[in-house]
Amino acid sequence: MRHTRLVPAAAVLAVLTLSVTACSTKSGTGSNAAGSDGLKTGPGVTDTTITLGALTDLTGPYASLGKSIVNAQQLYADQLNASGGVCGRKVRITVKDHGYDVQKAVSAFTETEPNVAALSQVIGSPVVSSLQQEIEAKHLLTFPMAWASSLLGHEHVQVVGSTYDIDMINGVDFVVRTAKLKPGAKIGHVYFEGEYGENALAGAKYAAKQHRLSIVEQKIKPTDQDLTAQVTALKQAGVKAILLSAGPKQTAALVGTAAAQGFAVPVLSNAPGFAPQLLATPVGPALEKQLHVVSAAPSFSSDTPATQQLAKDYKAKYPKDPLDSGVISGWNAINVLGEDLKAACKAKDLTREGITAAHRKQSKLTILGVSLDFSDRAKPATYQSFIQKPAKQAAGGLLTVEPAHEVPAARAYPLPKS
Amino acid sequence: MSDTLSPDASPATTAATPPDGSGGASGRRSGTASRAGTAAAGVLLLLALPFYVSSFWLQTGLFAMAAIVGAIGLNLLSGTTGQLSLGHAFFLAVGAYGYVWLAGDPSGTGSAQLYGLGLPPLLAFVLAILLAGAAGGLFSPISGRLRGMYLGIATLALVFLGHHIMLNARDITGGFNGRSVPALEIFGFSFSDTSPDGLAVLGVPFGGLERLWYFGLVLVAVAWLAARNLLRGRPGRALAAVRDSEVAAAVMGVPLSRYRASAFIVSSMYAGAAGALLALVFKRVVPDHFGLLLSIDYLAMIVIGGLGSVGGAAAGAVFVALMPHLLTKYADHLPLLSAPGTTGSGVTPGDAARYLYGAAIVLVLVFAPGGLAGLAQKRPRRTGDGTRRNRRFPFRTRTTSDSNPQGVEGTTPKEHTP
Amino acid sequence: MIKLAETILNGLALGSVYALIALGFVVIFKASGVMNFAHGSLLLFGGYVMARLHDSIGFIPAVLAGAALAAALAGLVQLLATRGLRGAEIHTLTILTIGVDVLLSTELNRRVGADFLSMGDPWGADVTQFGGITVADARIASIAVAVVVISGFFAAFRWTRWGLSMRSAAADPEAAALMGIRLDRVRLIAWCVAGALAAVAAVFLAAFPAAGLDRTTSQIALSAFPAAILGGMDSAAGALVGSLVIGLTAAMAAGYQSELSVLGSGFADVAPYLVMVLVLLVRPTGLFGSKELTRV
Repeated sequence: MRHTRLVPAAAVLAVLTLSVTACSTKSGTGSNAAGSDGLKTGPGVTDTTITLGALTDLTGPYASLGKSIVNAQQLYADQLNASGGVCGRKVRITVKDHGYDVQKAVSAFTETEPNVAALSQVIGSPVVSSLQQEIEAKHLLTFPMAWASSLLGHEHVQVVGSTYDIDMINGVDFVVRTAKLKPGAKIGHVYFEGEYGENALAGAKYAAKQHRLSIVEQKIKPTDQDLTAQVTALKQAGVKAILLSAGPKQTAALVGTAAAQGFAVPVLSNAPGFAPQLLATPVGPALEKQLHVVSAAPSFSSDTPATQQLAKDYKAKYPKDPLDSGVISGWNAINVLGEDLKAACKAKDLTREGITAAHRKQSKLTILGVSLDFSDRAKPATYQSFIQKPAKQAAGGLLTVEPAHEVPAARAYPLPKS
Repeated sequence: MSDTLSPDASPATTAATPPDGSGGASGRRSGTASRAGTAAAGVLLLLALPFYVSSFWLQTGLFAMAAIVGAIGLNLLSGTTGQLSLGHAFFLAVGAYGYVWLAGDPSGTGSAQLYGLGLPPLLAFVLAILLAGAAGGLFSPISGRLRGMYLGIATLALVFLGHHIMLNARDITGGFNGRSVPALEIFGFSFSDTSPDGLAVLGVPFGGLERLWYFGLVLVAVAWLAARNLLRGRPGRALAAVRDSEVAAAVMGVPLSRYRASAFIVSSMYAGAAGALLALVFKRVVPDHFGLLLSIDYLAMIVIGGLGSVGGAAAGAVFVALMPHLLTKYADHLPLLSAPGTTGSGVTPGDAARYLYGAAIVLVLVFAPGGLAGLAQKRPRRTGDGTRRNRRFPFRTRTTSDSNPQGVEGTTPKEHTP
Repeated sequence: MIKLAETILNGLALGSVYALIALGFVVIFKASGVMNFAHGSLLLFGGYVMARLHDSIGFIPAVLAGAALAAALAGLVQLLATRGLRGAEIHTLTILTIGVDVLLSTELNRRVGADFLSMGDPWGADVTQFGGITVADARIASIAVAVVVISGFFAAFRWTRWGLSMRSAAADPEAAALMGIRLDRVRLIAWCVAGALAAVAAVFLAAFPAAGLDRTTSQIALSAFPAAILGGMDSAAGALVGSLVIGLTAAMAAGYQSELSVLGSGFADVAPYLVMVLVLLVRPTGLFGSKELTRV
């Protein structure tokens, strides 16, 4: 029986030798180096490529949004590479699908993080929340596909466009103007529990105070698809308009139910509450009549040449996929990142720190007709929002009602601290 | 490796073993010794891993370790006692949030205020486990009364109630954004990337994941040994008796409700430990992770592993915890898939990973209905009445004879040579 | 008062849809002791078939086709379970349904994508008003259809040969088998019936005021879990009563959200579970579930 005692001893020896000899295999990654051309490079940047990461949802609840964003960003990367890339390097995007599962997302981050220069998209509020500390610790410039103002104030996390609360402030102003609401009037706000809905609610409450309106709150969950109870409650309360910060399904349910009950008040939704697919459903006509959308991004029917060009290129490359807000959001984010990379290249510093530094110097970047300022990380990149209206024949299902504009009250709004 | 209890076989065994154990005992010793040799080699391999593999693998391994601890706990409840629980995710959440609350320092003001006791992290870890046990104890009026599916769905309620509390008890849980997890610290040694900074062992940089790896190993070892001792001792036999026939157990003097309740409490404590470990790996806890899917995953783990056996639960946990990560990681390399961002509208790697995961569950169950533990035992011999009788009793184990100390199975041929 | 009436009507409509789903759970559980986690996917499958077919063959044939195919698929799952896993234990079959659910839902999600599929139902967005109460026609239809389908089910359960076999199989499978009842066939039919019921429920889940069938429709099946348990897992009548109670609770909690704000916002989603737990505290086998008798 002696041999059995030898086994562990032999194993110890083997392991020790192996571990000593293997020291070099796991040496520190991510060290910055300077090339012969004086260009400093960091993780994700080689002599031929710049690798970006995308943590997206292609199999979970936001699969369609994820697909549009991935497509749009790939389109941008292709165009950029066709025109020579950045610093003579091709831009490549590593896409990781987490299916809206926090654990998978965290492990996808750990896997991709050492090999990317920046993250061109991260989908999912819980995902962004769980990764925030790591992103800051690794100095990885990241573009979350969420627009809550709790994401502001981080050096390396960048929301592109106005936030939900700012959109709501601009939106309430529009509703007050067009529906001629008087002080003392009631408006309803149906919102998702969670970051998105509650951030929008904060904006709506602020705006209501400015206009001396009162808000009737109705909180719902993403799984709710029957809002009859909520509509009945709002009708009973006598609201003159309804604000909505939910998903497309809830928008259809709310507007459909309200229309069916002859409750013809204007409804204003945040951008995530609309999808062009809704216009083909039985409630399509009611949406065209009652709904407006307040959005940080232009619609495809807007006459900005850049937007028209994007719509054309996208349809050429992905003829089967719909033009939706995901395309614009994805394009916006990677476009900003592309400009950052170019600026960082000019400054001869393609390290992560260099990319973020270049990003924070962008104070007058115009993308798809919107002027963005990233110099103050605590403030939204813009205070402007578009007001749009569903229309079946319009590209992307939305017509621009009011171009990007901001109301003075928005600048005075105290952004919530995260 | 199986520690399946064999209540039917054990009385017979005790009778057949020579009282002085002269023949059987020494044969057992040789079998145990060679087994111990293999186990030692396995342990050494696990100890050496942080020197070789990347942080992705360490993190995935840590997820698996948390799953092992949780699955062992659920197995004590469902596998050994026959109580079905879908509420495991809730107790994981209690452990995770409990640790954060106990160890975290109070921070923020106003609406962003977070309470925390600021206890030493190791103490907080232990208290979090006890807290989860207490939560299980509070549920005992229900867990003591309900059986089978009723208990399953009643515990499902816990998941939803827990989610509701996590979102609403903001000053403790941080609401939907979650809360960051203070690093574990034992006598000034921190299980994080800092303090001591830049720690390197044998030239390999030791960051948070490498350090946590060893903590995880210790936790798994403690959980495993505790469960084994519990099962092999008097309580284990009593619990198995409760599972097989409550009436018979009661007649033999087993206090039914006390045992049922304590099984629930112990299982909750295991879940609490798993949750707290998970929190340490995540570095931030968010409510969305602790949903119904997590509970179902745990149920799948113990069934795929083989009910009633500690080793089986661990194998099942590794299978369920690793499989989706591995499939997602390597799905890009599968043939005939269209990569995200390309024009093809075929199956994406993410979808493929899901298909394979579903197929893997089905195949494992078809080819190893007794779970992975059953596979490891070659063809388990069925006690004559096994198949038919078990059909009528959901959630009870088939009795296998592996742990039969005499080894009459003939699995170890050297059994009777001294 | 109008609000209360509307809320109650709503709750009843919701409850009747839950009942269709819960009955399926109960039938499968009674016949084979399995908790079917793939029920949501079966529902989505039935709905998907209808949504794809109604344009070419009309609404009623599409519903029949959807129900038939969902029934066939459910039967297939049962065949896989019994043929592939002969002799396996109940919990293995339960987990098998999880595997099946992963496969089915992945494929259906991929096909449905971001679309809201119209069911082509004749009620559209029409509503009926009486005495100040507004209610969608689809809602009234769902109550009517549920009443007809469920009565039909009860009649079958009570008076047909299958019903008798089913009841005896549930009461004592071994005795039933000895008396010449083919358990496999009874189980197969039970699964098929459950599949068809789920498909019918899909029509009303996707009809107005919902936007249409989308990938999350299957999640509603989860809400029927407490309904089935509340009534008593082995009682079909219990499933009906339980569903109505759960439907009413959900509608009331949502309709009177602001009055209930003390309990935290979003309380409507946990209220059904809370009611269920309270009922189970008093009656551990649900309202109508058979008490566990132990003979020694």
